[in-house]
Amino acid sequence: MTDRETPSLEELAAELQTTHMDSELAAAQAIADAEGLSETPKSFGKLAWERFVNHRLALLGAIGLVLITVAFVFAPQFSDYTVEQTNVPDRLQGPSWDHPFGTDEIGRDLYVRTAQGGQYSLRIGLTVALLATAFGTMMGAMAGYFGKWVDTLISQMVNLFLIVPYLIILAVFSQQIGRDANRLSLVLALLLWTRIARVVRGVVFSIKEQEYVMAARASGASHFRVIFRHIIPNVVGALAVEVTLLLGTAIVLESTLSFLGLGVQPPNSSLGTLVADAKGNIATDPFRVLTPGLCIVFIVLCVNFLGDGLRDALDPRSKVAGPKPVKVKKKKMAEA
Amino acid sequence: MSEPVLKVENLNVGFHTKSGVVQAATDISFEIAPGEVLAVVGESGSGKSVTALALMRLHPRNTEITGTVTFDGVDVLGLSDTEMRKVRGRDVAMIFQDPMTAMNPVFSVGDQIVEAVRVHNKGTSRKAAWDRAVDLLQMVGVPEPRQRASQYPHEYSGGMRQRAMIAMAIANDPKLLIADEPTTALDVTVQAQVMEVLYEVQAETGSAMMLITHDLGLVAGAADRVQVMYASRLMETGTVDEIFYESRNPYTRALLASMPDLEGAKEKLEPIPGNPPSLLNTRPGCAFRPRCAHATEVCGVEYPAAVSLSNQHTSRCHHALELESMSS
Repeated sequence: MTDRETPSLEELAAELQTTHMDSELAAAQAIADAEGLSETPKSFGKLAWERFVNHRLALLGAIGLVLITVAFVFAPQFSDYTVEQTNVPDRLQGPSWDHPFGTDEIGRDLYVRTAQGGQYSLRIGLTVALLATAFGTMMGAMAGYFGKWVDTLISQMVNLFLIVPYLIILAVFSQQIGRDANRLSLVLALLLWTRIARVVRGVVFSIKEQEYVMAARASGASHFRVIFRHIIPNVVGALAVEVTLLLGTAIVLESTLSFLGLGVQPPNSSLGTLVADAKGNIATDPFRVLTPGLCIVFIVLCVNFLGDGLRDALDPRSKVAGPKPVKVKKKKMAEA
Repeated sequence: MSEPVLKVENLNVGFHTKSGVVQAATDISFEIAPGEVLAVVGESGSGKSVTALALMRLHPRNTEITGTVTFDGVDVLGLSDTEMRKVRGRDVAMIFQDPMTAMNPVFSVGDQIVEAVRVHNKGTSRKAAWDRAVDLLQMVGVPEPRQRASQYPHEYSGGMRQRAMIAMAIANDPKLLIADEPTTALDVTVQAQVMEVLYEVQAETGSAMMLITHDLGLVAGAADRVQVMYASRLMETGTVDEIFYESRNPYTRALLASMPDLEGAKEKLEPIPGNPPSLLNTRPGCAFRPRCAHATEVCGVEYPAAVSLSNQHTSRCHHALELESMSS
């Protein structure tokens, strides 16, 4: 200090002021530097992808789903047999290189048949999840956002759908709906949308009280715009889990119906009908029941893992998982 | 004075509740001239925010509003919902108290400003709106606006977020900015910076501003006029000097006495004894009477009429002219 020229009071004051004014900016900059943000920030998609890839179970789920879909869709390429091709001498075989899943009582290759049934199940599951989510989200958002009589009306509708004995309804209409996958999907979606609607209604109820909804209204956004641009994107996280659970439920429900003979009708088959076909031989040939059954379990599990990862990935507030935090041993702490 | 931007006459706001009507704003009348900064001060629950929300018609549904609100020659309370939406954000914009919750967590800050721009300018391309958002962020002092625009609210600090809120509010060059306690949620050093930005922006765009606050220190700095509210009513209105140095209202004086000053001249702050009255089933007479040192019999009988003290200075007190001057 001594060898430096003593700065005048004004200079000091000016310096103090500029450092004070810049302190916040500087702090923000420092934080940005520390987080590596001052380089071009990553896009939302890229960040979401990173979070997703870092979620091990979700990644496993996604890979599992891709594998099983490929195994189902390209079954005709992988196998020398077709779905309808019978070969009575080779009937009721166990798994082999030639017939990985064995054969049924008229010698049809079960891998090809499982693949076809699996495709059917996946397709129905996806369609149901899509339809039920679209409809359920709309109804739930309206009920939650507008409240009052709109909420009463929609909530009562949900209750009505919840008490409908779906097995009886499906049994009555099985001849009309079972032959067409789209019709079956539509009916299942009609039965399942209520779950989505209830979740969305609850979340919207809490979100609509947030100040940013008020801020959006204050900037002149219409109800429609507030719901679709501001509220629903905030519901997506909670929805991701519910939708994947729903997809699982739809596949299981379809399999149940098909097993009971109320769902997919021959000549079409689904995983459920395959289990039903095999149940007569369960004592002598448990493997035949197990393969389509395990396919159902595998798909549903993968989908649930996927949902879990999607929820985390789609939340912009969650951080990309970095290197694992170093565990501090309690013993050492005590010593120190 | 030129034609006022906002003219409020006899505004009453009441909330219907199970236990009766809560009168949150009673007989409020005031004007704001173009480019003017009007500060509205008062303690919690005095009706400041309710008045502001009623002006934008953003009040809850169980609310009854009477009176007239004329904005730029248009009767706001008579507009249809669709017409009202066009006014909000374009002509009147609002800055909220808590920047932590007033931004949507799942959109980038830039996207939210783009949204504010495009609500009122449907033809604007995304690219153009994004450039505008970056310009706005630059204007409110966000460093590296181009990069920062694509960040999310949680990546901003509180002060930065409030700056972004200001950017969003001025996106459409509104004629009136309503700032509802814009710095209450920020710490003191940041408060000063944000207020500075707010005043700069206000001066630059030439918009009028209604600044709602309970911080008298904030008001003294840059407001043109001050309006003091208590228990849903206007107590006193005047220029900053008139309110701070020549107040003719016991409540305003009590409020000033309860506030520390910078010189440290006051040894002890004087709190106002008692509590604000319930706004449910209000009694006749002056609302401040139970806590007022100057109260007499007449105060309990009828509500004081406005006493005009100067061109802009009015006080609602029966004893406005009898109070000794504020030299002490």
